[in-house]
Formats: sequence, C-alpha cells, structure tokens
Amino acid sequence: MKKYRSYILYLLLLISLVGCAEKKLLEKVGLTTLIGYDLGNEDNVKTTAVVRQVNTEFQSQVAIITSENETSQGTRTKINRRSSKKIMAGQLRGVLFGEELARKGVGHYVDTLLKHSEMSGSVLLAVVEGQSKSLLEFEYPDIDDIGDHIYKLLEQNIKGEQMISSTLHEVGHDYYSPGRDIAMPILKKDKELIEISGVALFKNGEMVGKLSAKDSFYVKLIRDNYNTGKLEMMIKGDELPSSLMKNPSDRIDLVFDPIKTKKELKLVNQATPEFDLQINVKARLMEIKPYIDVGKPKNVAKLEKAIGKSLSEELSRVIALSQEADSDVFGFGEYYRSTVRHSDLTQEKWHGLYKEMKVNVHVDFTLLRSGIME
Amino acid sequence: MKNSIQLSQKSTINAFLLFFIIHTAQIGVGIHGFQRIIYQDAKHDAWISVLLAGIATHIIAFIMIKTLEMYSSNDLYGIHQDVFGKWIGNFFNIIYILYCSAAFFSVLRNYIEVVQTWVFPNVNTWFLAATLLLIVMYTFTGGLRVIVGVSFFSLILSIWLLPMLVYPLKFMEPRSLLPILEADMSGILKGVQSMTFTIIGFEVLNVIYPFIKDKNNVRKYVHLGLLATTFIYVSVMLVSITYFSGDLLTKTIWATLSLFSIIKLPFVERFEYIAVCFWMLIILPNLCLYVWAAYRGTIRLVNVNATKFVWIFSLSIFIASLVVKNRTQINMVNNYFGQVAFYVIFVYPIFLYVVAVVKRKFKSHKEQIE
Repeated sequence: MKKYRSYILYLLLLISLVGCAEKKLLEKVGLTTLIGYDLGNEDNVKTTAVVRQVNTEFQSQVAIITSENETSQGTRTKINRRSSKKIMAGQLRGVLFGEELARKGVGHYVDTLLKHSEMSGSVLLAVVEGQSKSLLEFEYPDIDDIGDHIYKLLEQNIKGEQMISSTLHEVGHDYYSPGRDIAMPILKKDKELIEISGVALFKNGEMVGKLSAKDSFYVKLIRDNYNTGKLEMMIKGDELPSSLMKNPSDRIDLVFDPIKTKKELKLVNQATPEFDLQINVKARLMEIKPYIDVGKPKNVAKLEKAIGKSLSEELSRVIALSQEADSDVFGFGEYYRSTVRHSDLTQEKWHGLYKEMKVNVHVDFTLLRSGIME
Repeated sequence: MKNSIQLSQKSTINAFLLFFIIHTAQIGVGIHGFQRIIYQDAKHDAWISVLLAGIATHIIAFIMIKTLEMYSSNDLYGIHQDVFGKWIGNFFNIIYILYCSAAFFSVLRNYIEVVQTWVFPNVNTWFLAATLLLIVMYTFTGGLRVIVGVSFFSLILSIWLLPMLVYPLKFMEPRSLLPILEADMSGILKGVQSMTFTIIGFEVLNVIYPFIKDKNNVRKYVHLGLLATTFIYVSVMLVSITYFSGDLLTKTIWATLSLFSIIKLPFVERFEYIAVCFWMLIILPNLCLYVWAAYRGTIRLVNVNATKFVWIFSLSIFIASLVVKNRTQINMVNNYFGQVAFYVIFVYPIFLYVVAVVKRKFKSHKEQIE
C-alpha cells in the first residue's frame, strides 16, 4: 500500500486537474480586437466592439457590434446578447474614445481598463475626431479587419517615432502622475482612409486641446529621446544670408530625420518656475528646397544655426500652445517634483505653476550627412 | 544537552544547500505585491527601506547562528526547552508552531487569490487549496532531503524570470527616484517593518540547523542566500518605482505581475499568465519548509508520525482557507501576520540570544562554585 500511495496521488491529481477551469475554445469565442467608447444619451456610454470570430474553416470574420449602457462593463453583457459567440477581451489591441467623451474625461475608463487582469498593459489608446462608432462602422473598401488595421496604423507610427506612444500603461502612468498629463493620438476618417490627424492634450484625464500631427514631433522631442522619425520644416528666408542661395526666396523647406537627440533639462528658478531646455539634434538632411550647396562647411554652419533657431522657435510655440490649454504633456512637472525637495506636488498645485512656467529653449543642430550626392 | 538531535550521516545535508533553502524560503508570494505597501510608507525612497530590511535580515541571521552555535546540534525547539524549562519552553514552542502554520496558510491563501484574480476567476478556492495541499503532502512525506531538492530546483528552474525585468525597463523613468531621501526617517523605518511579510522565511534556519553536515560553512551560505534575496527585492523595487508613477503604484495590488503584463513575446502575448502559473514552483519550497518546521516542533510535544501529522495539518489549513473569503479579509490576515511575524522574527531572536547567554554564564558560575 505504502508503495503505491504516491501513484494514487498522481492519479488523483491527473483526474481532478483536467477540465476544471472554464474552457475558452477559439471557435467558441469572439475576440474583441478594438473597442470604441462614445458618449451616449444621458451620460450613458456607447460601446462599439470590433469582434473577430474564427471559424473551423480557418476563415475569420469581423463583426462590429454597438450597444449602450450606464457602465462600460455593462455594455459588454449587452454585446454578448447580440453575439453568437462569447466575447473575450484578452486579445484587445486598442481602445478609442470619441472626442465628446474624451472632453468629459477618460479617467474612469483608464481606471477600469487597468483594473482588469484580462487587459494587457500594451493596449493602445487613441481619441477619434467625431464619434468612434461612425469611424468603426464605415465600410472601408481597402480594409478587411478594421481592428487590426487601426492597431497596426498606430503601432507603426509609434514605432517609427512619428507619433507619441500611448499604451495603456503609459496613459495610466501619466494619469496618476502629479506632474504629467496624458497625450493620445487623434484618429480621423478621411474619406475612405483613416489617418492620424493630431495629438490630443488632456488635463486631469479630460481632453482640453489638440495639436496638429506635425507638432507631435516637437512634443516627442521634449518628452523622449529620438532615434528615428522624420521632420519636414520651414525656415524663414531672411534667416539665411541670401548669398547662400542661387535664387533667393523668402522660405526654405527642408526635411531631415534625426539620428540622435539628446536633451538636457535644468530648473533654473523654482519660484517662477523657469527651465532651461537644451536639445542636441544630430540629423541627416533628406531634402532641401531651394538648392543650397551643403558641400561647403561655411554654408553648413549657417544652415545648422538657422535650423537650430527655427527649431527652438517651434518648440517654444508648442510649449506655449500646451500652456494655453493647461496640459503638461511634456512632464515638466515631473522634473520639478524630482528636483525640488519636499515639493509635495499635486496636480492642482502644478497646474497653478504651469501657466506661469517659462522655458528657455536652445537647440544645437548638427548636420551629419546629406545623402549620397552633393 | 539531553535533548539535542543526533542524526546519521545519511539524513544530513551539505551546507551549500542552505543557500537555496534560505533564498527559496524567503521568496514567495510577498514579492507579487510588496511594492505598494512599502511605497505607502516611504514613497519613492521605498528601495532604501527594502535595502535596510535586507541588512536587518543579515543581522538577525547572525544572531540566530550565534544562538544555535551555543548548542552545537539542536534546533530552536530544543533550545526553548533548555533555556526556559519544560513548561515555558513548550509554550514558546507552541507559539512557534502556530507561527509556522500561519505562515503556511498565508502563503497558500495569497497564491490562491492571485490565481483566481489573474487566471481562473471561476475556479473555487477549495479546489485550488486541495490541489496545492496534495502536492505539499506528497513532497513532505518524502522527507527533508526531498524538500531541499525541491528548493534547489525551484531556484534553478525559475531563475530565468529575473531577466524578464528588462522588458519593463523600456518604459522606465529614472527621475522617479529623485530626490533621494525625501521621505523622513520614520517613514523609511516604517517601510522596513512593512517588509517583514515579504522578507521572512529565513527563520527556517532555526529548525534546519542540526541537519547540516558541515556546520562551519553555515554562516557563509546563509548570508549568501540572504544577499541574493536582498538583491532581487531591491532590483524589483527599483524597476517598479521607475515603471509606475506614484499613485499608480499605490493602486496596483500585484505590481510585479503588472510589470510582467507589458512583456509580449512573439509566441506568448500574455506573459503574466505563465508567470502566475509558474509561481507554484516558487511557493512550493515555502510551503514545504513551513510544514516541515511545524512538524519538527510538534514531535517535541506529542508523539505523532509524519503521515498522521501532515493529514491533520493539511485538513486544518484546508478548512481555514475556506473561512477567509475575500480580498479585504486576506489583506487583514496579511497585516496581522506581518505584525506578529515582525516580533517573532526580528525582535524575539535577540531576546532569546541574550537570555541564552545569561543563562549559560549563570550556569557555569554555579558549576564553578560547586
């Protein structure tokens, strides 16, 4: 008996462990890949879910289901009532907020998403110009699976550093941080395409303003360090001596991609507060119009200076815009908290200071190379 | 000493295994969510609290070994009987047995809670408790050497989880740690006390000491084990503080598992599910060592064989695990247990050492007179 006791135990485990948990077979569940939240009637929330269903024939269908209820999780049961398969959220890739809802506040939704163990921290969040329902329900001729498409659209642009990153984790991080506000990409339906049209600025979880898609480069430049990405910019003609150009014009358009940026932030005055922002950009020139001979070191030095100057002006402009909206998406407050001892920074306290904040921007631009032809 | 433990060569273990025993006994369910508890006390200086708690374990382990060395081959239970006499000694023994059972219970219940929240919300508590208890019983009946083997493999097989912390580093903000030492000393020290629940486990040394073959190496491996634990706790804490923003960390119940949830591998999209399931291997030595420690104490009090003991023990734990039902109750148990453990692990050994030294002095003095 004693000899067999361990085997009996094994057998018991084997029998009892099999099939104890709830089964979630792929053919029997609908995988939600994307959710859109809109403001419904009387403070209700309208949820649009993009559900992918896998058949036994290995073909997948995409269904778009909308329902309205008082709570976001309540809509889920309602959606389940309209679907032949059980709706699961473990494969969720993106969450969209209608602009109206975003302006009322996304804090509650971020909180609910974070609470759920089913959600992964890498879900991407974005704001939709207009209603997310109409964006999702439209039948785009070139898009098969809208859920997958939107996720890849956002992911590709975030990886390519064209857009600020807005994973659930980062948004949650900023939402709960006293010295930093949420920023999310804005999506827009443009005829038969979907495009990223800008950056939404938030204050305490409420959308308070937006920046153009181009300005998101500057936001990113201050927030993070760059490694890739591309920027098209314009320098005023009178900032460069006309001797540089063959045909002097009043504006110079150029495109460069930063190879490496390095930023340095310093708090010079605690009371105002005043920051010194020094950014070093090393970049590659992609296109310049009109023609400037960048083979000559003298010209390069002048061009670098002019670009640096325009960049600082643009950065100051974007900072001023965000200050106007009272949204600190750059994290100046976080820097303030970590520098000033016993600052006891709260969101209210920082927003009081933020309006008066001064930032002296200085950009050092270095041109590394300009392609394979001079 | 009349009650010292005499063992054959075959039932002893090498001192180097103590490294694995101490380390695996310390790391268990506490690491899942210790960050927010310490953070509430010490804010972004929480890692200093963790470091100080680590140093405290070294000091306590040093005193424990000193006490044990006075009785060349005896465990805490025997020392109690010798120092305090039969009645008071046995009273302390009962407390220690209850402490081990409580530790066992809280590890088990916390793990079940984690499994239910993260992976299987619909699986009943009794079922998970029964399954885990069966595995523990199976290991326990194998004897100490099997338990030590489990500790060894638990560490070897789970060491790969540590490099996974590199993934969250992508989102970290080192400035979250600044300014260093902003919290006042009382906050940091309170954080050290809150670490108790997470950092205990090394007290198993009190019971396992007589089973070590080469006792002159004990010191080295115990401290190495403690060092490894401290290193892991401090690095997890540093990553957590830089990854989460303050208020987010205080809201995250299992910060370590949330750290894992950002990991996305090409073949596994939700890594934390694997981590949670794999954690069973990490808590198994915890459970086995505690039930074994409780058993060693019980046989000093009553005559009971191992199989009978483990059945009674498991049954009572099983029933207890059904009584504690929800998150608030579990938190309460953790809090109370943490407070009691602080006195049992961090205060009591110093007291015991002082009493033992005084008693020895007194005794030798008396012998001289006679």
